[in-house]
Parts: sequence; structure tokens; C-alpha cells
Amino acid sequence: MAARLARAPGISLQHSIRHAAILLVAGRYRDTDRSALCRLHDQLPQPRATAWWGAAPLTDVHDPVTIAEGDDPVPQLRRLDRDLLRGARASEPDWLPDEPPNAWRGKGDHGQGGKGMMGGVPYGRPMAMMGEEMRDGLMLDAMTVTIGPFLRTLPPGLSLELTLQGDVIQQARVATPAYSASGIASEPLLRAARILELLGLPDLARRARISAARGDDDEGLVAAARRRGALLALPADLADVRARLDAALRRGAAPDPGEECLVDRLAGMEWQSALLRVASFDPATLSRIAPAAEPEEGEEEKAA
Amino acid sequence: MTAIPLVFALLAAGIWLSALAERFASGRRFPSGTVFAPLLQAARLLSQQSVRTEHPDGLNWVLSPIAYLTLAVAGLSVVPFAPELAVAPLDTGIVLWGACEALTIVAVFLHGWSANSMLPLIGGYRFVAIGLPAMLLSMFVLIAAALPAQSLSVGAIVESQRSLWNVVRQPLGLPLFLLLGLAISLRGPMDYGDAADLSGGTAAEVSGPHRLAWGIARLAMLTAFAAMGASVFLGGYLGPWLPGPVWLALKTAALLLVLTWLGRNLARMPAPRMMAALWLVLLPLSFLDLVIAGVEALP
Amino acid sequence: MGALANLILAMAVGAALVLPLFLCTLRRDGMNGQSQQVPFLGGGSQSAHAWQRFHIRYYPMTLLFIAFEMEMMFMYPWAVVYVETGIKALAEMGMFLSILGVGIIYAWREGVFRWQ
Repeated sequence: MAARLARAPGISLQHSIRHAAILLVAGRYRDTDRSALCRLHDQLPQPRATAWWGAAPLTDVHDPVTIAEGDDPVPQLRRLDRDLLRGARASEPDWLPDEPPNAWRGKGDHGQGGKGMMGGVPYGRPMAMMGEEMRDGLMLDAMTVTIGPFLRTLPPGLSLELTLQGDVIQQARVATPAYSASGIASEPLLRAARILELLGLPDLARRARISAARGDDDEGLVAAARRRGALLALPADLADVRARLDAALRRGAAPDPGEECLVDRLAGMEWQSALLRVASFDPATLSRIAPAAEPEEGEEEKAA
Repeated sequence: MTAIPLVFALLAAGIWLSALAERFASGRRFPSGTVFAPLLQAARLLSQQSVRTEHPDGLNWVLSPIAYLTLAVAGLSVVPFAPELAVAPLDTGIVLWGACEALTIVAVFLHGWSANSMLPLIGGYRFVAIGLPAMLLSMFVLIAAALPAQSLSVGAIVESQRSLWNVVRQPLGLPLFLLLGLAISLRGPMDYGDAADLSGGTAAEVSGPHRLAWGIARLAMLTAFAAMGASVFLGGYLGPWLPGPVWLALKTAALLLVLTWLGRNLARMPAPRMMAALWLVLLPLSFLDLVIAGVEALP
Repeated sequence: MGALANLILAMAVGAALVLPLFLCTLRRDGMNGQSQQVPFLGGGSQSAHAWQRFHIRYYPMTLLFIAFEMEMMFMYPWAVVYVETGIKALAEMGMFLSILGVGIIYAWREGVFRWQ
């Protein structure tokens, strides 16, 4: 759905919620994604608003802006943005309670007390713990983060729990599977757009999205990607990603011979390469290697 | 002293031009008043809240954008607008510029560090891996440009191009130098700090006026870099008919447009590959540039 | 006024121009709730502070970098006297750079430029 916005003048989709003014919830979402949605909403800078496009507003939201699924959201989004900037519409309050994510339970001025370096809980959040590196065996801090389900560089709905040392993934776990996108004809182009964005080619990604929204064939897309070095930039150990990007730009799906699951394919990879690999799988393969549950539609954030 | 207003006028014009070029390059249609679009964007950011993250390193959080901009100003200070007309016409101009490059890496790193958030942190660390070798590259080509001038002063380097511009005399110099420009202004193929794969990297957590300050600083650094590149490789203020400052501004604008285009139209490879490419391919090329310049400069 | 004073003045003006942007930050601080401060991870969360003993993969590269950075110290005076000294200077720097070049090849063989 959100691909339709690629062509809208004056509207730009942002990568970080901190850069956005409006949170657009496009399509249905899973019940399990509610807390992530609330977290995302609260991170928006004020003045802020949420628009529900073909999505059911959360029940406790006051005065929600809803847009029917078949409607063009652009005029409504623009009006909403104007009202926000002029102060005609009040900025939305936080949806989550105003309390720290972890209770403060340390000793000392900053809660730093406890056993050794790692015992304390400064400011109510623990410090990262040491762990052995899988490749060189160095004992350094391992950090566990959950990314997604609404990170634009990941397939919509996919949420991964990553254990990182530096920017290299030690361990990965699928927290929630991606929304099912099978049956959408333009899906390969949207996937290509995501890869192109990871490669730092936003304009070409937008071109792919427009082509996907129009449902026409953009013959020059492969050549344009080639000219900008999109395929060359991928090193030999990402040859599978290169093959899939090439196929996706031609609106096809490259066969994936591997039976290995996604999380095993990510271990030991550096951040950008790992995201490139995740973004390159077609929905059918992704649901096989990163086990899926409910079939649902996508969702993204945007700023006017 | 008289050059200080000139420096800020050039910075303001450069920031405005590159913001505009960025919009045009993105190929989007805009409602009327496109020329003022950067101002409208600035006004929007000013009206937004500047979100603080959970227990950031508050001092560095604020200082890093300021340091970034200040370094751009310092770098531009050694660039002459006309013979002897520079804020600081130092004999060691390119050494000062090199110091600004190095400290820019620190400023960007601190910006990523101070948010106390994963994505900016990775951006900050990763940028250092690319920024360091890129800086080495730029210093080699700058020293190559200093050979025929027999001086490290930017003014002398400009004067040494009266007969022939360095871009012709040392053909490898400008392309290699542009790579550094893309790196220190965080764009396109060399953007390992604020990249989209990290959802904005070091800037992923900033919003409102803070984001405006960071954006201004980035474009100011781009402008300062373009002015430096124009002086060292395109003859700076030299040119017929028009006064020196106008020539410098025109050449700076041309380089700004080239950098904007490159930034949007070249793919970024994963950081490990770029680091290896910098050391194994591009650094030897900069040695070659030095040899070419050396042989050419011999009497 | 000296060049240095001018430089410092210009830098101070630059800093003064962006500083006000952070003063209005302070004014808005009141509405920065705890749930808004949570780091952005696309709806995800982090279990601990991001600050950590970060595993810097390119660490050996920075050591090689220092060697080249020190070499730059010698190149500054060399560049100034190059034309006077002539071919001898070119040969000397050529030798120096070749030795450092061997260093790069050695580092490459040792896998310094890999993310390890």
C-alpha cells in the first residue's frame, strides 16, 4: 500500500521515526505488534499525529484519523500535517505509561553498583554483558537488540532479535515473522527497492516503487541499477543477494537452493550485508526459512 | 577580517544550493515555491520537538553538530577568495585543512556515540573505519598539489595553477579528493555514518532543531570541501573578466553539483569491502598521483 | 589582527550561529516522556545500554593507519623543498613509500582489511 505514496509530491517516507511528523499505519496489523506500534508512536517528535489507512485504530486512541483502504490518503495526510503545524490539531500524547523501561535497582549514585563491571543497572537499564566472540574468541560485550517489525529496511512485519558484538551478528532469532506478501504482483519490485535503499540509492528505489505502484514494466531499471554499480557493490560472499536483486529487478524470483534457515545464514555477518541478505529473500522463501504464522498486510511510517 | 563575511556568505549560498540540488536530484515534483523549499523544511524542523534519548551523553550530543560546523568554517578559513584575501592565509594551510578532516571524524563519531542507542553507535564506529583511510588518501593528493607550489599554503597552490590547473596536471588528484568529500559530508557511496541501512545512522535519533543543526553542518562541510577542491584543483579564484570571489563561488557551485550527483547515483558497498578497496586500490593510486605530480614538477 | 585570531573569530561566529538551535531544545524538554526516550529500533527494543566494550573489527587497520599518519609528518617539509632538491627527493620518497607499501601488502596477507 505504502508504495503508492512514492509518487505523491511533498510526501517523503522516512527511515527513522524521529525524522517523521505523521505515523501512517497502512493495512492490518497483528495483535502481537501492538506494543511495538505504541513504542514507535511514542518515539515520534511532537507535534505528531497518527493516520490509520485501512487499519483499525487502537481502541484507546482519542479522535483517530481514519482513511478507507481504497481512498487516496494524500489529501488527508496533507490536511493533517497542515493542521498540526498551525496548531489547529493538538499533538498526540504518549500511548505508553511515562515510566522507565526498567526499574531503577542499582546501588551508588548512578545505579552502577553491584558485582564487578556488569553488576549494576545504571539509570534503570543494565549494561551489555561479556560474551565470547564466535570467530576470534575475544571476550567483549555482546548486545542483544530486537529490530522491527516496523523497520523500513526489513521486510514488513519481520522482527529479529540479534545478538551483536560490534556490528557483527553473533546470533539471530526470528521474533515475529514477516507479513505474507505472496500474491502481490509487484512484490519483487518492492523488494528490489528495499535492497537499493540499503545500497544507498534512494532515487532508484523510488523509481522501482513507482513502477510497482503503476503496475507497469520499467525496462530501464536493470540497466540503471547496473550503471550505478548496484550489482558491482555486492561482494563475492553476497553473490546470492546479487542474483536475487537482478531477478527482482526483472520482476522474477531467483531460485533459492539452500534449506538452511535465515538465522543461520546471518551469523557472523556485518550489519549492512546481513540486512541486504534478509531483504533479498522472496516472501515464499522467507516464510520457509523464517517460520511464518498469520498472513497479513504491510505497514510503514511516513512524514509529510 | 574582511574575509569573514565572505566565508559565511559562501557557506550560506552553498548550503542553500546543495539543499536545492538534493531536492531536484531526487526527481520529485514539488508545489510552487521550490526555491524556498529548503527554508520551509528548516521552518518545519524548527517547529518540531528535539527528542532526547534515554540518558544521552548530553554534552557531546550538543557539541558534535557545533564542532562539525565549526570545523567546516575553520577549513574554509584557509581558502583564499582573491590573492591574500583569506580569513587565515596560513603558510601551512593544507595542514590545518588536514586537521579539520581528522577532527570531523571525531565529531561524527561523537554524534553517533552520544545518543546511547544502537544504530547511531554502529554508524559512528563504522564511519571511523572508512574516514581514516579516506583522509590518508586526501592528504596524499593535497601534498601532490603542494609540490609544484613549493608551499603548503592554499594561496600558493592557487597561484601555481596560473599556467595550468591541477586537475589537468595531476589527473588522479581530483577524483580521489572527491571521495573524501563524500565521506566527510556523509553522502552516497561513502556515507558510512548516516546511512539508510542504519535508519539514518548517527542522525537516527535526532529530530527537530537538532536535526536542522546537523543537516546544516553536513552541508557546510560539503561547501567547505567544494571550495577547497576548487582552489586546489580548479584554480580557485583565477579566471578572466570576473572578480576572484565570483570565480571561486562558481567553481565551488560546480563541484557541489558534481558531489550531489555522485552522492545520489553511486551504490555503497559494505564497509569491509570499501575499507579493503581504499587501502589496496585507491591508496596505491594516490601514490601514483604523487609520482605523476613529482615527475611533472621537476625542473 | 593575526591570522590565528581571525580563524578563532570565524569559528566562534560559526558556533554562535548554530548554538541557538540547541537553546530551544531546552525549552521543549518538559514534554519528553520516558516512553519517548526509548531508542529507535523500528518498534524493537534493546535489552541493555548501547554503550559497551564495542568489538571494533577494523582495529588492526588503525595501527597501520598510524604508520602512514606519521609518514605524513615527513611529507610536509619534503613537499616544500621538493623542487629545490630535485630528483634526489623523488627517489627518497619513492623508497620510503615502497617500504610502507610492503607494509600494506603484509597487512593484507595478515587479513587486516577483513572485518574480523
